[in-house]
Amino acid sequence: MANEQAIQQELQEKFPYFGEKITISSERRIWAEVASSNFFEAFDYIVKKMNFSMLCLIIGLDSGDNLEFIYNLSRYDGTMLNLKTFVPKTNPVHKTVTADYFPGAELYERELVDCFGARIEGLPEGNRYPLPDTWPEGQYPLRKDWTPDMLDKQPEGK
Amino acid sequence: MDLNNVVKIPIGPQHPCLKEPACFTVSLNGERLAGLDLRLGYNHRGIEKAAESRTYIQNIYLIERVCGICSHSHPSCYIQCVEQIAGLEVPARGRYLRSLIGELERVHSHLLWLGVAAYEIGFETLLMYSWRDREVVMDILAMLTGNRVNYAANVIGGANRDITEDHKKDILKAVDVLEERTKYYIEVATEEATLIARLSNVGYISLDDVKLMGTAGPTARASGLDYDVRRDDPYAAYKDIPFKVITDTHCDVYGRALVRVGELMESYKMIRHIIQNIPDGPIAVKAPRKIPAGEAISRYEAPRGEDVHYVRSNGTDKPERVRVRAPTMVNLLSVPKMLEGDNLADVPITIAAIDPCFSCTDRAIRVSDLDGGNAKVMTWNETRRFGIDWYRKNGIDFTDLNKRLAGRMR
Amino acid sequence: MSVSLFEMIVFPGFIFLGVMGMLFEYLDRIVYARLQNRKGPPWFQPFADFIKMGSKEDIIPREADSGMFVLSPLLAVTAVVVSAFYIPMWGGKALFSFFGDAVVVIYLLTIPTVAYFFAGWYSTSLYSTVGAVRTLTQLFAYEVPLFLVILAPGILANTWSLSGMAEFYSQNPLLCVTNVVGFMVAIVALQGKLERTPFDIPEAKTEIVGGTFTEYSGRLLAFLKLTHSVKTVVVAALVSAVFLPFGVEIGGVLGFAIFIVKIAVIVCILSAFKAALARIRIEQMVDFCWRYVAPAAIFQLLISMVLGALTGCGV
Repeated sequence: MANEQAIQQELQEKFPYFGEKITISSERRIWAEVASSNFFEAFDYIVKKMNFSMLCLIIGLDSGDNLEFIYNLSRYDGTMLNLKTFVPKTNPVHKTVTADYFPGAELYERELVDCFGARIEGLPEGNRYPLPDTWPEGQYPLRKDWTPDMLDKQPEGK
Repeated sequence: MDLNNVVKIPIGPQHPCLKEPACFTVSLNGERLAGLDLRLGYNHRGIEKAAESRTYIQNIYLIERVCGICSHSHPSCYIQCVEQIAGLEVPARGRYLRSLIGELERVHSHLLWLGVAAYEIGFETLLMYSWRDREVVMDILAMLTGNRVNYAANVIGGANRDITEDHKKDILKAVDVLEERTKYYIEVATEEATLIARLSNVGYISLDDVKLMGTAGPTARASGLDYDVRRDDPYAAYKDIPFKVITDTHCDVYGRALVRVGELMESYKMIRHIIQNIPDGPIAVKAPRKIPAGEAISRYEAPRGEDVHYVRSNGTDKPERVRVRAPTMVNLLSVPKMLEGDNLADVPITIAAIDPCFSCTDRAIRVSDLDGGNAKVMTWNETRRFGIDWYRKNGIDFTDLNKRLAGRMR
Repeated sequence: MSVSLFEMIVFPGFIFLGVMGMLFEYLDRIVYARLQNRKGPPWFQPFADFIKMGSKEDIIPREADSGMFVLSPLLAVTAVVVSAFYIPMWGGKALFSFFGDAVVVIYLLTIPTVAYFFAGWYSTSLYSTVGAVRTLTQLFAYEVPLFLVILAPGILANTWSLSGMAEFYSQNPLLCVTNVVGFMVAIVALQGKLERTPFDIPEAKTEIVGGTFTEYSGRLLAFLKLTHSVKTVVVAALVSAVFLPFGVEIGGVLGFAIFIVKIAVIVCILSAFKAALARIRIEQMVDFCWRYVAPAAIFQLLISMVLGALTGCGV
């Protein structure tokens, strides 16, 4: 676990705001939490300086008033750092990582847009994913307050 | 580029080269590719949303149906998350059994791929041969788990079924047969001129691009990326099983084929090792019905690449959120890169070479009359009603038949 | 030079060739299946397919040119049947022959390919258009070598009549050996002409769905398939008349049996190629034909010319 602790320490020293919010859950699994205003500072450092050069997944979650995004970053030795950030549901805006870091993250971000109603700034125009083009506006199926019958109640022809 | 010479050809949503719906709109300049546009999501079934309203046990079977071929990979990956949150330690025999089914699944998936790839380049004989041999491993899987796919071989806390001494003998015999056949395929792959001509220098992607796009699995290893979750982030019994990570430096479809047949050979060795060294003991521990609050993420090297599952629990018997990432999700995005400057004829095989599996939520059916142009949303029940009425209008009525059947059942 | 209705429709015309075509289609399918370790279809499968497809509705796309759409398959089948009249099958001579009928046959056998092109082009579907263009591209690659090697034996025989060639070589069977290169070239070119793997590029189903015939259905598709089967027999008969003319002078039942065996051998060779090879790309195909097949054809021509000069029996 020495390796994981070293990563923990390095991040805590470099970015004091991590503090207690960086934990090791098991071998090769590190969890960290960061406010969205500091997100890109930490993200840049972790990706470019600490060699977490693989983005496994971006997970979107509905945690009450906020949308929660978890960026699963990994090294090629299997160590995985899960960087969490929150954006308020009233203004769910976040910047894209496809432009500067991972062009392969496009589908994950589109999913955040379609299923959670997040607004990802800088995401290039393109086809929707995963919902159909005719999907009604303002329905975000993976939010907790969404139920399937909301779709059936849609007025016809819309 | 002169846009007048560009022809746009849709490959999909329904197309002979795709086994599942996806739409690749190919722009062609003569036979050369000028662009590629991806449209996915035809197969979105809302599994992640559905998982939130089912118990952990029910979810095993739901997640198993994310993919027919990787139907051991996905539930294993999901169960690893749940076990991690609940703090369950899987007994050694259970871990070995998981690896055993996992490797058998890899064998069947790679043999399937070999056939599909051969079909895409019009080499139907290889399709027939490799699918015939795939039956050997399918029989073994059916014998061990009772099913050819969707094995239900896992429970939370271990494995579902044990294997006997007779099973071991049958598995070893089957592996011997398969190994011999695979050697023959390697011979074909390295000697058959038309095969090499169709696969070499097609779908080229460099190591740098692979790292940038996050490409996973055999596709990445064929570009020289020495990375395998089984070795680098071991799960199940892979810590105890010696194996070699197969890589290749061709960076093209040919390399991907070589990696996959190489992995077949490794899998045979691993299956033999598992059979010879499987420890005795219980196969599972008992799992609680309610899982304590927490979250976990787990990775699994599925035949097609890295599966990533995330589970967050809230202390009840239903998860708060389940997130599934199949390897195809990342691999697909590298397809436009691979196809740069290639021919139309290379499109099917390049798409096939990442071994795509488009599985993902949809429950609304939108019927739109193309001639009139008025779209209409139909709910599931309306669609069912519509179907019954349509057949009745055409003189076919199942109501009596259904009643009679129901009567007989009683 | 008149032809009776019986000859045209029944024997050796349309019906005879159709039945032969289907029987050899069965042979092709069963050999292909056995090579792939499959069981293969029963003998009546091609007939059943034809009857079933014939009973289905014809769908003509709204966008398509309906005249050309319907005419193209008929044009193809007519050209193939007519060309069969000039090919000696057994009992010595063909139904018709004159000096230079080899050239006529080769041109007649090009018509189906062009008809396929029209069929694809006037369907206006994207897939068929691509298929049609591929059909023509491929035509330019295999046609020249095929033309050269069919005419090469004629130099030695001092005739450009197919019946004449067959007669000459059946009298001098040893001279056939000099045409081995030509025979091999012809077999390669045949696979292009018949659009078979590895040259089934115009109808590569994993790329362009049904290729040229994507939009066809029902009776028209049945006719196109029939044309294909008949074309296989006619082209195989052409190659056997030119390169394997053993026993062509024998008539009656024995002659017919010899003829059947020769065609069967050629069909089996083609099936074996189909089973053993993958489909190649169009530019690889053109490249292969011009780099290897065309020079080999010219080589065959040179052999014939030199031999003709040496033996004095050439032109």
